[in-house]
This record gives sequence, C-alpha cells and structure tokens, in this order.
Amino acid sequence: MARGVLAVDARHAERPTLKGYILRRLMQGVVAIVGALLIVFVAQRLSGDPVALMLPMDAGEEEFAAMREALGLDKPLPLQFVVFIGNALVGDFGQSYQWQAPAMPLLLDRLPATLELALAGLVFALLLAVPLGVVSAVHRGGMVDRVAKLFAMLGQAVPGFWIGLLLILFVAVQLQWLPAFGRGGVANLVLPAIALGWYPVAAMTRTLRSSMLDILESDYVRMERAIGLPERWIVWRYALRNAFVPLVTMIGVYFANMLGGAFVIEVVFAWPGVGRAVVEAVFARDFPIVQAGVVLAAVVFVVVNLIVDLSYGFIDPRIRHG
Amino acid sequence: MTKGQALTARGCRPLVAAALVALVTAGAGRAADDTSDSEIVIAFGAEPQQVDPTRSSAGVDGYYIDLFYEGLLAVTPDFERVNWLAESWEVVDDDDEGLRIAVKIREGVKFHNGDELTAHDYAYAFERQSDPVSRTAGRLRHVGGIRVRDDYRFDLMLTSPDGSLEPLNLVLSAIPRKYYQEVGDDGVQAHPIGTGPWKFVSRKVREELIVERFEDYWNRDAMPVAKRLRIKIIPEDTTRVAAFKTGAVDWIDAVPPALVGQFETSPGVRVVSLPTPNNLFVALNAIDPASPFRFPKVRQAVAHAVNVDDIVRYVLYGQGIRTAQLAPGTLGYDPELKPYPYDPDRARELLAEAGFPAGVNVNCYNLTTPREPYFKEVGETIFAYLAEAGIRCRIVQLEYGAWINVGRRFVRPTMDGIMSTMWGQGLPGDPTDAWSGHVHTAGDGWGTYSYESTPELDVLIETLRMTMDADTRVALIMQIARLKHELVAGGLPTYRPMITLAWRDRIDFAPWPGAFWRSMRGMRSAQP
Repeated sequence: MARGVLAVDARHAERPTLKGYILRRLMQGVVAIVGALLIVFVAQRLSGDPVALMLPMDAGEEEFAAMREALGLDKPLPLQFVVFIGNALVGDFGQSYQWQAPAMPLLLDRLPATLELALAGLVFALLLAVPLGVVSAVHRGGMVDRVAKLFAMLGQAVPGFWIGLLLILFVAVQLQWLPAFGRGGVANLVLPAIALGWYPVAAMTRTLRSSMLDILESDYVRMERAIGLPERWIVWRYALRNAFVPLVTMIGVYFANMLGGAFVIEVVFAWPGVGRAVVEAVFARDFPIVQAGVVLAAVVFVVVNLIVDLSYGFIDPRIRHG
Repeated sequence: MTKGQALTARGCRPLVAAALVALVTAGAGRAADDTSDSEIVIAFGAEPQQVDPTRSSAGVDGYYIDLFYEGLLAVTPDFERVNWLAESWEVVDDDDEGLRIAVKIREGVKFHNGDELTAHDYAYAFERQSDPVSRTAGRLRHVGGIRVRDDYRFDLMLTSPDGSLEPLNLVLSAIPRKYYQEVGDDGVQAHPIGTGPWKFVSRKVREELIVERFEDYWNRDAMPVAKRLRIKIIPEDTTRVAAFKTGAVDWIDAVPPALVGQFETSPGVRVVSLPTPNNLFVALNAIDPASPFRFPKVRQAVAHAVNVDDIVRYVLYGQGIRTAQLAPGTLGYDPELKPYPYDPDRARELLAEAGFPAGVNVNCYNLTTPREPYFKEVGETIFAYLAEAGIRCRIVQLEYGAWINVGRRFVRPTMDGIMSTMWGQGLPGDPTDAWSGHVHTAGDGWGTYSYESTPELDVLIETLRMTMDADTRVALIMQIARLKHELVAGGLPTYRPMITLAWRDRIDFAPWPGAFWRSMRGMRSAQP
C-alpha cells in the first residue's frame, strides 16, 4: 500500500479528477462507437446491394431503382453516412427491411432476453471459476490444480456452441432433465447459460489462480499467518478480495462480450435475444438491424467497461486514493 | 402439449403409459373429435416476418400467411387446382369491356372478426398489392384495375393476356378492407385477420405463434380438427430435432436429410418427404463472347459430366427429385424427356469437338449459406465432376447476399462462368416466371437472372406468358422444355429438393401443399 501512495504523492498536483477521468473515458467511448459505425457502414456497402435480396426474382431495373431511391441507397456514400450518423444520434437506424418496423426498438425488445442469458452465463462462470481458481492456487500442483488446468485447457479449446450441442444431446435428449430450447423458466436458462459461461470459466480460473498465488506469497499474508489467523480467513477474506481486481476486468470484458456476442449460443438454443436477431439480419442483409445491433453492442461494451473501471476503486481503496 | 404437461409425462412415464394403454383399450371407439381440444406444439425452422399477404416479401412469410388468409383458387393435396373463395371464374374478351377475368366469389364467407367477405375487399386488396411498396406488385403487372359489379362479383381488368395469373391463384388474397383501414399496417402485423381456417391468438417474435381453429370457417370439409396450435421457431436443425426427441414439440419441419432414415425407423414417429417449389440448376454464361459456354457442345458436355443421380443419392440422402427440365406434377411435365446420362468420356469428346481438347478453366460460383439442404456440398460436388471431364473450376464461395447479387443480370459483378443456383416454380409448379427470368434474353423486365439469349426461346416464352388457355400452355411448355433440353439453354436443371416433415403418431396429419406444406389445414389430434 505504502509503495502506491508514495508514487502518487509525487505527482499529486497533476492528478486528474474522477470527473475528468470519466469524461475522458466517455469521449474515448464515443470515438469507439463512431468507429464501429463507420466500419459497419463501409463493410455492409462493400459487400453488395441489399435491394437484390428484397425484391422478387422477376423484379426489373425500374423496381430496383425505385427501391434504392426509397431507401436512400441511390445517394452518394458520404451523404448516406452523414444521414446515417445524424439519425443514429437519435437512435434512428431506419426501418428493418424484413420486418418493416424501426430497427432499434426491434432490438431493444430483445435486450431483456440477452441480458438474462448473459447474467446467467456470468453467474455460472463465477460460481465455477472462483472456487476452482482459489483451490488451485492454495493447493498448487495438487490434484485439484491439475484438474483445473485440464478444465481450463478444454474450456479454451472447445467452442461454446459445441458445448451447447453436446448439452442438448446428453442433458436434454438422452437424460431429458432440461428443455433443449427456448426462453421460459429457470430450467430453460440452465443449458444456454452453461454453454455461454463455459469459455470465461477457463480464463477466469487461470487469472484468479495466478493472482491468488501472487497474493498468497506477499508480505501481509505472511504477517497474517505469523499472527495466527486461520488459513481459511486469510484465503477467502483477505487474499481473495485483493486477487479479485484483475478478475473484475475480465468480468467486465466477458459480460460485455456475452451481451453483444451471444450470437451463436442464442441461435443454438433458439433464444430470442439480440444476437440471434443480428445473425438473421446478417444473412438477410437487413442493414438497419445489423447497424443497430453493432452500435448497441459497442455502446454496451463501452458502458460496461466504464463501470468496471470505476468499480476498481470500490474493490481496492489503493486505486481510489491513487 | 404444454411444457408442464410434458414434464409431468416424463416424470411419470410408466404410470402414464399404463394409463394410456388402459385408456386406449377402454375407449377404442372414441372419435378423434372428442380429443381435439389438446394443443399441438409445432416447430418451424424459419420464421416469417410479414403476416400481411399484401406486404409479403419472401416465401417463408407464407408459413403464417397461409394459416390466416386464403386465395381465390387453391391447390389440393393431390395437386389439383380448384376454385376456393372463387365460386367460379372465366376469362372474357369482348368489344365492350375488353379482356378481363370475371370472378364470382362465394357468399357467406366470414372473416375472423365476423365481417362478411365481399368484392369490395378484393378491390382494396388490389389497391394495396399493386402499390409500389408491395414487393409482389409485379404479379399484377398486367392487371389494370378491379371493377366491382356487385357484392359478390368483380372483374380483373387486363391490359394484356397473362398466363401466370392462374398458377398464382389469381394473385389476390381475401383481406378485410374495413379492419385494415381501421387498424393500419401496424395493427395488421399485431393481429392479422383473414378468412382462413386458423385465427390469430398471440405472437412472440422469434419465439412462438399461437393460433386457434376458426369455428365459423366456411369450408367444413377442409376444416382442421385440432383446436389449437403453438408454433415454435427453432432455426438450428440439431435443436429442432432435439426438441422433437424430448417430446417438447409434436411436429417439426425440415428434418435434416441425414437424419431422415433414423426418423423413419423411430417408433411412434410418422415421416413424410415432399417436393419443395425450388428447382435447382447449374447456370452457364452463354452470352459472354469469352465464355466457352456460348457453344452448345460445351454446355452438353456439362450435362454429361455431372452425375446428378449419385449426388441425390449420396450427398442428399435421396432427398431430391431428379429433373430433366421440370419435376413431376409441374404444368407441362414431359415424362419422355430424360436427363443426359452421366458419361464423362462423351463430355470430353464434346469439349474437343467444340474446340477445347485441353479442357477449359472457368469461375464457378457457389453458395455457402444453407438455402437448401447441403447446397454448398452439392455445388462443390458438381464442380468436382466437371473437373474430371476437363472443365476446371476456380471456385468462388459466396454468402447469400453476394450470391444473389452475382446472379442478377444488371447488378455488378455479373456471373461470368458457372453458378449453382435455383428458381422456385411454385407447387405443383409452373415454369413461366422461372423461364422468363433465367432463360429469356435480358431486358425490358425479362431475364433478370438470364445468361442466355436464344431468339427462338424468347418468342416461345413470350407466347407462353401471354397464353391463358391451359391446354395451349401445356403444349408450349413441352415445346420450350424440349428445345431448352437439346441446347442445354438457360443452364442445366439438376433436381427439386424435398422437405421432410415428422410428427408423433398421436397426431393425424395430412399435409396440404399451401405455403410449402405448412398450412396445417390437415392437422388433427388423434389421441389424447
């Protein structure tokens, strides 16, 4: 603790305020979102003409021209982008070509389902990763550590959708314990949450283990042991709290990923979330939905990461004071 | 079956089984109608977006539209086109009022809200569907307007003869004018109302649609027996199959071809494989001066080089109907016309005769999106066969949007070699639109996907489109098919895919071809 305070005291006068820090992060977030908008806009238009998908096969050139005009696709690209950005600022991404309804509300309707799944996935990941990471560190080189290593390796190597399909085949079809698809009660949530949380478990376990190993070898832990505090207290009350900071960063990143990127899991489990809506829109080249989806994911990512950054101070007072 | 019921059934299976045996034994004489109140759970692999027939933009929209709405004509399970909401109709051409289709609709047909169907509803349907925002306005391109004669009679006033109107069931759907005007587009999307056998109860987008039997349905002979359907949307094949196997759903569409055999031998499961409206073919660029496919012999070499029978047998697990030009049941189907035999030696000879003894190198465009089962693999197998005969492919794999764009004549880049592609012809099928699109020379609304230009075929196709007499149309279609076959013009037809439906044997299900076998008209619950 002393080392951090001393280092900061020397530059105390130039230290930015919390308000300034938040503003700077918000500005960075806006730049990231505009960047995402630009990439999506350019990539979508480079990949072909959506009108061909929207009109029947026997549609002639006149019908093409009329549809392009109606959608504003006949305008020069820079003008299309300016119009697009202006509308995006007020959340207007246009009408979905397929659903013929405003794109963003269509996605926001689906957000609760995705949020529910992401939270469940995160809870599953933490419930598994925290005990595994702690026990692996405490019993370094032991059986649990070796099993956790193997588990982590498998977790990183096996994609979530494959885990999802295996869960459907064994847990839903063979054992008939849980439903294979759809959104409903808690039972419907279990398999997709496991499939979604599977990958983060591995990474979180390894991160927490490393972090715990560092902490368990630190001076203050040795001091706590010397004064005779029970090992269980040292590990679970003092060491774990300090080891949690790097894990919080991961939680933020993975949670944001789950919110914006549960595409495949949502498709596999017929989960009616944002990810599935965006995947279907990509195949149908439904520009407004894809654009709204990517921007929504970018906003979620920026906001979640900002919250994570701010939360460090609450977990570790050294960061708050520094 | 609700989820709760399913779970109960799983937990108490021995007891339920014993109870079922007892029930069946005791109540052997019970009529199906007595047990029709149970809910049937269905799973579709794809979800419709539009539920308004005048705003439909894709074939999949028909899955829902066909539950609620009906046409003037309809196709029965034995592929017979019959009058439906039209009691009668005839083509009339006289000096006073010109060419028209005079329609008399049935009296006493009710919409789900109790309003009676009248000719004024059709005038409104025409107004909506011919609006440029309608994506199927082109189907009415030769209909100048509707003249309402009285509450039950109206005329489709034609600006030109149009042979495609009858295969499209005279195009117009029965929509309730007053309701549409009252609730607007959003209201119709939220709660569709038609004259069909199923009426809307509720919908959760990307989750489920619930419908109930319409008790005042006009056609008692074609009325479903099941009372209520819950239609789930499960796009992933494995998950849909799993949902069926766990008992969470009673009926599924699009059983993956590789699993059809397993389903057929599963106890308590009924399976049927049926033709779909798509006709697959290999498009060949026969108009580019640099293309080797300008030469009929090179195109014939393609026809001899590909073993389509084996592709259907091994790649598609038999789930395809081999076509020389048209599939059986299609208007003008000619059973005498046989596919080119697989003969790679003959293919190489034809290439040499055409001036390409060392073979040719071409771009071959393939679709990676599973628009039809194993479509990507079928394309790759075709290209491999071609290479064996000396037609060497540089394979270009495309996702759906890019594939559609490459196929279109006036969207760049254009298709400069070979393309594995398809064109729906409806069920039972009429090739007029398809040939107008990919065989007729491009221009003036024709040949939107055409890489072919044969004046003789152009004249015949134009004549076909303007011919309304059924017998003459059959003769013309057979004539075009023979010429097309001989020249391998407009590409090489390969097969018509099949779709497999599966259901539990507690259900008595008779598939109707409407909306590609998903209209659920013949759905009944045979056992509790």
